[in-house]
Amino acid sequence: MIQGRGWKRWLLTLAVLHGIIACAGFFAPYDSAEQDREHPHLPPMKIHFMDSHGRFHLRPFFYEPRLREGTFEQFEESTEEVQPFRFFVSGARYRLLGLVPSHVHLFGAQDGRFYLLGSDAYGRDQLSRILYGGQISLLAGLLGAGLTLFSGVLIGATAGYFGGWRDGLLMRVAELFVALPWLYLLLALRAFLPLSVSPVQEFFLIVVVIGAVGWARPARLVRGVVLSAKERDFVKAARGFGATDAYLLRRHILPETSSVILTQAAILVPQFVLAEMTLSFLGLGVPEPVPSWGSLLASLQQYSTLVSYWWMYLPVLAIVPFFLGYLGLASALQQDGATEKMVGRAGEDIW
Amino acid sequence: MVRMPGFSTFGRWLGYGMLTLSAAVFSRPATGIPQQSRSAEELLTLSGEIGKQGGRLVISLRAEPKTLNPLTAVDAPSREVILGAMQADLIHINRATQLTEPALAKSWKVSANGLQYTLTLREGLRFSDGQPLDADDVLFTFRVYLDESIHATQRDQLIVGGKPIAVRRVDAQTVVFQLAETYGAGERLFDGLGILPRHLLEKSYTEGKLAQAWTLATPPDQWAGLGPFRLKEYVAGQKLVLERNPYYWKQDTKGNRLPYLDEMVFIFVPNADAQVLRFQSGETDLISRLGSENFSVLSRLQRGYTMTDAGPGLEYNFLFFNLNDPGEKTSPDLARKMKWFRDVKFRQAISVAIDREAIVRLVYQGRGAAIWGPVTPGNHRWGNSAIPHSARSLEKARAFLKEAGFTWTTTADGEITLVDADAKPVEFSILTSSTNADRTKMAALIQDDLKQLGVHAQVVPMEFRSLIDRVTQTKEYEACVLGLVSFDADPTADLNVWLSNGGTHLWNPSQAHPATAWEAEIDKLMKQQLTSPSYEQRKQSFDRVQQILADNQPMIFLASPDILVGAKNSIGNFHAVVLEPYVLWNVEQLYFRNSAENARQ
Amino acid sequence: MRYFLRRLMQAAFLLIAVSMLTFLFSTLAPGNYFEEMRLNPQISPETAAALRTQYQLDRPLPVRYGRWANSLLRGEMGFSFAYNSPVAPLLWVRARNTLLLTLTATLIAWALALPLGIWSARTLGRLPDRALSLATAGLLVIPDLLLALGLLILAVRSGWFPTGGMASVGFEDLSLFHKVGDIASHMELPVLALVLSALPVLARHVRAAVAEVLEAPFLRAAASHGIPRRTLLFRYVLRAAAIPLISLFGFSVGALLSGSLIVEVVMSWPGLGPLLLEAILARDLYVVIGGVLFSTIFLVAGNFLADVLIYWADPRIRTGAAAR
Repeated sequence: MIQGRGWKRWLLTLAVLHGIIACAGFFAPYDSAEQDREHPHLPPMKIHFMDSHGRFHLRPFFYEPRLREGTFEQFEESTEEVQPFRFFVSGARYRLLGLVPSHVHLFGAQDGRFYLLGSDAYGRDQLSRILYGGQISLLAGLLGAGLTLFSGVLIGATAGYFGGWRDGLLMRVAELFVALPWLYLLLALRAFLPLSVSPVQEFFLIVVVIGAVGWARPARLVRGVVLSAKERDFVKAARGFGATDAYLLRRHILPETSSVILTQAAILVPQFVLAEMTLSFLGLGVPEPVPSWGSLLASLQQYSTLVSYWWMYLPVLAIVPFFLGYLGLASALQQDGATEKMVGRAGEDIW
Repeated sequence: MVRMPGFSTFGRWLGYGMLTLSAAVFSRPATGIPQQSRSAEELLTLSGEIGKQGGRLVISLRAEPKTLNPLTAVDAPSREVILGAMQADLIHINRATQLTEPALAKSWKVSANGLQYTLTLREGLRFSDGQPLDADDVLFTFRVYLDESIHATQRDQLIVGGKPIAVRRVDAQTVVFQLAETYGAGERLFDGLGILPRHLLEKSYTEGKLAQAWTLATPPDQWAGLGPFRLKEYVAGQKLVLERNPYYWKQDTKGNRLPYLDEMVFIFVPNADAQVLRFQSGETDLISRLGSENFSVLSRLQRGYTMTDAGPGLEYNFLFFNLNDPGEKTSPDLARKMKWFRDVKFRQAISVAIDREAIVRLVYQGRGAAIWGPVTPGNHRWGNSAIPHSARSLEKARAFLKEAGFTWTTTADGEITLVDADAKPVEFSILTSSTNADRTKMAALIQDDLKQLGVHAQVVPMEFRSLIDRVTQTKEYEACVLGLVSFDADPTADLNVWLSNGGTHLWNPSQAHPATAWEAEIDKLMKQQLTSPSYEQRKQSFDRVQQILADNQPMIFLASPDILVGAKNSIGNFHAVVLEPYVLWNVEQLYFRNSAENARQ
Repeated sequence: MRYFLRRLMQAAFLLIAVSMLTFLFSTLAPGNYFEEMRLNPQISPETAAALRTQYQLDRPLPVRYGRWANSLLRGEMGFSFAYNSPVAPLLWVRARNTLLLTLTATLIAWALALPLGIWSARTLGRLPDRALSLATAGLLVIPDLLLALGLLILAVRSGWFPTGGMASVGFEDLSLFHKVGDIASHMELPVLALVLSALPVLARHVRAAVAEVLEAPFLRAAASHGIPRRTLLFRYVLRAAAIPLISLFGFSVGALLSGSLIVEVVMSWPGLGPLLLEAILARDLYVVIGGVLFSTIFLVAGNFLADVLIYWADPRIRTGAAAR
């Protein structure tokens, strides 16, 4: 009855998704900062096989966009100018995985630009921005969540296990950390950093700060569970047998906290990625021209974008598979963990 | 959507009409005044549609006003409410015509040497609580504005020729203002200086507590003013309610006392999109200072309301470089870069490389104007049409840079980079306010423009106050994108921006002596226009100032947004203007056409 | 009792530490409230500097802290530069408005999260659980801001809800009954936004905690004794699953004043959120410190409540602590 394989599938899916993001340069047709000022807010282009004269083309193509008469910002297809697709096109230079210089892209057009997912306010290709944006966002999300969880578990377990004055002190410090207006500090951060710190570096500094100070919540959750776990009979019995603290923590107590930790992890990564959006609201997000999912979604915060440019929602579609992946993985690990425990502890209950 | 060029013929007619009629107005007791024996009131008659009495106007503000005290009001919402609806001044600048007209003072005389202004108040006027207005109130008001211990924000405006204006009473209706030097802008000085009630505030003043008077918690009977509306109620965080001032000193041509509206409600909506939504749902009646994207959204579906584009306002956005003298604390990196910035050819190159049309198109959706100087098209009388509006040209930019001694190299990645005479790559950071999306967008566009020159610019959004601190105090910055909104069309309003010892002379503020010859010349010309009495002479001086700015580019001017507003169709007498307050400048004449609108659930 | 006193003292120390650190934070960033005036050509830098001195922003930090502590004892909590009035009255009104919103939302969120989470745990892996997981995942992906804005758009398009604010414009003219109804109808959207943003996290935690308990053998043993389902649920399952949930509940209490900032700003609810946000951006120092202290009090109370409840809920901790 041991289901050990569910989580492996989720892990594989996540690995593939992350792989695509890591090789964004190849999959993205254009550089994320390339502006096209003639075509801001272009809706996604349609791929055609049949042209307006009824002829079938083997190679898919798209039409050049043209400004609709009398408007500032509405576009339509100009059915005369056919632009065929090409695969493995030579385009903007990039470094694959940050190491290997290359200029081959999966697909593109000979002339003209193809906007599969539309363009943003500066005419930059949304698809490329989503792919490159994932690099920064996922890194920030994993970094921040990792820091928070790691420090939270460490401190929470210590507080819960040793109890007494250590517990009291750590929990009060936790309260201090939650109470302080870190927003104030973050707003000020840019102001006293030297100008030579690049905005991307500054953004990651913000993520580190948020991650480092966010340990209080997981710590309290873990501490609560540890407090109760250490009084369990099997723990006392193991101690009676001469187990050291480290052994008890590792073997008996921390596994009790696994479900809390996994749930937290699955929630924290999406929350960190989305926290970027709130940071952008306050002017603390990743600045131009670097894309990130948070800043892409930030443009959705405006009413005008929400009702006029529906394709700006598409980054959400890109994020959803990742979040579902993380949540699914956490769920699967929890379930298998529970099953394992059931099998493993059959002996204890008889006793 | 109705596009009005900034100065429609209708507006001109309205303004001149008001001027001529007001010059001919005399005592015409209006109806509905409580009977009391006093001298007949001299009301100001305004032409315009005759409106219906009644109705409640609801308008949203982005933030709460912080105070009702004009001496301490620095934030925009407070000033909008106070100056727009609650106070009246002696001489008022008509926001539509941009010219002065009599207000509380029915006439004024300027002495031959231009140093003395004698103002005659209208007779029989009263404050909103019924107490009479006379010259003692005017004296008290100006004494309070000029008092050094209060640090009123108005004080600096009343210092002419280095000395505060002296105010003297001649009789109950006449006041004399003595200036130390002729003042070119003339009677525009008096606009915005609301007259305060001596009978309510003198006690606080003598006790030294004037700055704490008239907070939002003030009970309505402790407040009085001369504006069209008076205080009725304030609910913290939600709304400020004003009611009609029954003693208001204006009437329409039929003799009905203005204002037409019974009540004005300001609700506080902190979020711009929420403001738009509430206007769309009909909860608010007017909306002002819209962004261009929201304007487009509202224009698409005009149900019961009309959106108006009033043309370019007086806001000018610009990019400027750090032109301060490097001090001992300046890092060698910054000092090196400042050498580039000081070369006028470098600045000229940057200026001609910037795509201003793209800024207007992408940041303002075409609802704006590219500018090459501080005077926007919205300012009718002071623009210098001789300034060239050079189109974007990368070749010219490259030519300027070559003349300045810069060259281009190719890096290992195949990118072309601009380097200076010491072969160091040209790169710098552009500061913007993190809360201003428009200017950050401009900086991003400029960044891309400069990339094509081989210049690597970095956009650094920073919290606003820290940014100001860097620009004005520590001076540790490289380049910055900011904008200013002129309070008045007259060049004297922005005096401190052009004077080299001015606090807002952003590229090198508060200089002890002018750092360059051209700044010294600007100083001379600005002082000339400040004191010369004729408009033609002043225009000549200011034209020359604009030419010097164009030649030396201390500020690279970018674009100016249009004033975008909207109003319900049922509101009569609604005209948008490009001077603040954009929709409330004639609030006393606004009325609701059909009385069904007045009933609100 | 001694425990209670000890926690009270710790709470007092915490408040002092928070106030000091916030003061410190505020000086880290250059600039102050009056800085904005320096961009106004009408006001000279001397006036701005004079105002700074008048409000004693140029005094050294310990002196300012001392004066502020003094005003705290007098019940004023410092002075707001923007409003030109003491801070305390500003905060009370706003805090009351915020609590109205968050208390309602917290109660509703918990009332929904418990049954949903339990149901999900009971049907683990099957359709109801998967549907719920998908729904919570979907809600988690949507940030607060977007949610609030989306609901506002819904309000405008459908006309079913008021578009923000706490009361209608003609509030004063309504009868008491209608006044209550008016405020309630204005609360609907913000509460909905808060509940929707809190629900996924709570529901997932409840599900995780209950699922773990449901696997436990002692429960099967109890069921095999014939104990009815309802008793099983309340007496056995919830008590056992309570520990992490109690900590979570402590957080809910702790976030009563601070968790609703974004929703309040977007929906123009006159709570603490918009006041604090504006004060932070404008550097209205004492308003920020006052707001932070208010929030801290709730935070401390929440954690204290959670700790007390944990001790009450899990007898093993009590006996274990006593035995040691």
